Amino acid sequence: MERKVEKLALGEKRDYRNLLIVAVFILLVPLWARPIPGDVLHLDIVNIMVLAGVYACAVIGLNLLVGYAGQISLGHAAFFGVGAYTTAILTCHFSWFPTWLGVLAGAALAGVIGWLVGVPVLRLKGNYLAMATLGLGEIAFILFSQLKGLTGGTVGIPEGIKVKVGEIPALSVFGFKFDTDIKFFFLVWAIVMMLMLLNINVIRSRVGRGLRALHSSEVAAEAMGVNTARYKTQVFVLSAVLAGLGGALFAHFEGYISPESFTFSLSILFITMVVVGGMGNLWGGIVGVIVLTFLPQVIQAMPQWIPGLPSNLKNFSNYTLVLYGILLVVFMMFMPSGIAAGLSHGVDFGEKQFKHMRDRVRAKKYEGH
Amino acid sequence: MGRADDRQRILLISSAIFIVLVITLTLSLKRSTGFQWILSGLTVGSIYALIAMGFSVIYSSTRVINFAQGEFSMLGGMLMYSISVKGGVPPWIGFILSVLIVTLVGAGLERVAIHPLKEQSVIAVIIVTIGLAIFLRALAKWIWGTDPVKIASFSGDKPLRFLGASIVPQSFWVFGFTVIAVVLVFIFFNRTLVGKGIRAAAMNKDAASLVGVSSSTSSLLAWTIAAALGASAGIVIAPINFAAYNVGIMLGLKGFTAAVLGGLGSFPGAVAGGLVLGVLEMITAGVVPSGYKDAVAFVILILVLLIRPQGLLGKSEDVKV
Repeated sequence: MERKVEKLALGEKRDYRNLLIVAVFILLVPLWARPIPGDVLHLDIVNIMVLAGVYACAVIGLNLLVGYAGQISLGHAAFFGVGAYTTAILTCHFSWFPTWLGVLAGAALAGVIGWLVGVPVLRLKGNYLAMATLGLGEIAFILFSQLKGLTGGTVGIPEGIKVKVGEIPALSVFGFKFDTDIKFFFLVWAIVMMLMLLNINVIRSRVGRGLRALHSSEVAAEAMGVNTARYKTQVFVLSAVLAGLGGALFAHFEGYISPESFTFSLSILFITMVVVGGMGNLWGGIVGVIVLTFLPQVIQAMPQWIPGLPSNLKNFSNYTLVLYGILLVVFMMFMPSGIAAGLSHGVDFGEKQFKHMRDRVRAKKYEGH
Repeated sequence: MGRADDRQRILLISSAIFIVLVITLTLSLKRSTGFQWILSGLTVGSIYALIAMGFSVIYSSTRVINFAQGEFSMLGGMLMYSISVKGGVPPWIGFILSVLIVTLVGAGLERVAIHPLKEQSVIAVIIVTIGLAIFLRALAKWIWGTDPVKIASFSGDKPLRFLGASIVPQSFWVFGFTVIAVVLVFIFFNRTLVGKGIRAAAMNKDAASLVGVSSSTSSLLAWTIAAALGASAGIVIAPINFAAYNVGIMLGLKGFTAAVLGGLGSFPGAVAGGLVLGVLEMITAGVVPSGYKDAVAFVILILVLLIRPQGLLGKSEDVKV
């Protein structure tokens, strides 16, 4: 336990090394990933990875808020939606509006709203904070569906708005268009890796220590001179900005958005990703995002790989969610501290075994002399 | 402390005055239409109250918010459809059977998924209940499909005229069931040894187990009661609203809102919160475009939380250091 605390507090060079390894591994994905064909559903790994990357932006921020600061939010789909709608509205209504600026505007507006909301709401704790953020998420969803002139109502953008555009324009930076899955893949995951770097630096900073202090005991942290209200607001705003960024990227990647994409279920999905991956674990967010984005798709595609299955069982879409729900429960029952923690225990164990073996081999050699 | 108490009393009284004012204003401006809104508000409010009580039962015995609470109501309605409408069984037998099945489901889920988690963090348990909600919803979609189903009212559809407003007979069933459920739950928790045991376990698990109250049993009982409350709410409202695989989300959210409005863990609070939420919702639905109806409920909720986080009737919890 002592060692773990120390590790958390100082952060380690290892974190940067691991980040490099993960970055290389993920950036190599398009080299081997080919769409897996199938008559029911074909599994396009790169495409799903883009979606995972977009969600990862939001989940990294949420992990800081929930995992490190211990403040729950059940309404982050709202910020994701604000980001998506801001850039979609700007770039569709005004065709001259640069898309990259739209993305930045989306993240910024999400941050501003996060600040306006966070200052009063973060006075609440635990279940009440959960409830208030949940309410905010619902209000945002209703506004997305009701402000018809701006958001195109339940139809969404671009079909629902008056300006005639085929779809939300592809993201372009200095004339370079990210208009294919592969290009978008590199963009999104480069951003995610930068966010991870930011994440490592935040948790190693004064703010990060303050957040962990207020997680374990707010009163004690305050007594030690940590300005808990300010830190909580700061991390809430940061998580809102990151969710807005993710949402804006999502809008440009999908090409169309509607309120259905930003429901309570999305907020729940984000929280689930954080928890299943591992709350307060540096890699928890990313692991959770990848596992939970692929899981439903894989479950759905699974039966077509089993030969000799009766055709009425081939359509798995009916019970995808049944299995998904069960798996969620099972995950929490057997890996309550998250997959990432489980993995790193595994890695630690392996490392220890390896060192042990190495030492024994060395000792044998020594004996031989 | 005295000043804080005074402030709370002032807040409570002023919110009561506010609600009375809203109701009288609506009545004087809109007369029979206003009365109509209040009646339908009380009807849905009763349902919210039943669901809110389910939340409160589980919360007060285990400190967990059960996100599958709304799904119990959905299951109740859908089972009623299968047993009574499809199966042709008389409604009252259908009602008892459906409630019984959902209660067993609730108890079973507690044993399989919640009980083994005893020592886990609250958020882990919350995620498990979310998983259960997804599971139940998907199962219902698989079994019953996506189309909403209609269930016949228990005693005809001919609306009764009452002070210029019309009221469907089913509303009386809703009121009746709510009153019975509230009385039963009240008697159980205040007059029976088992019920008192659950309350004791909620206050202090260790002290309760020292005098022979098992926290495991009280968790099981809490889930059983919550499932029964949720199922009966879902069944009695089904003839007014439609029953469908996805009604659980909104019913759950509203019940949750009502529970927090009244004060999580307080039974009178749950009832008051449900009724207030239902009436305010219907009045606002009459005044503002109906699309914003749900938003107003959540705005009220957030305001209440910010002004009085422990709810209208809840006791404030002291922070333990």
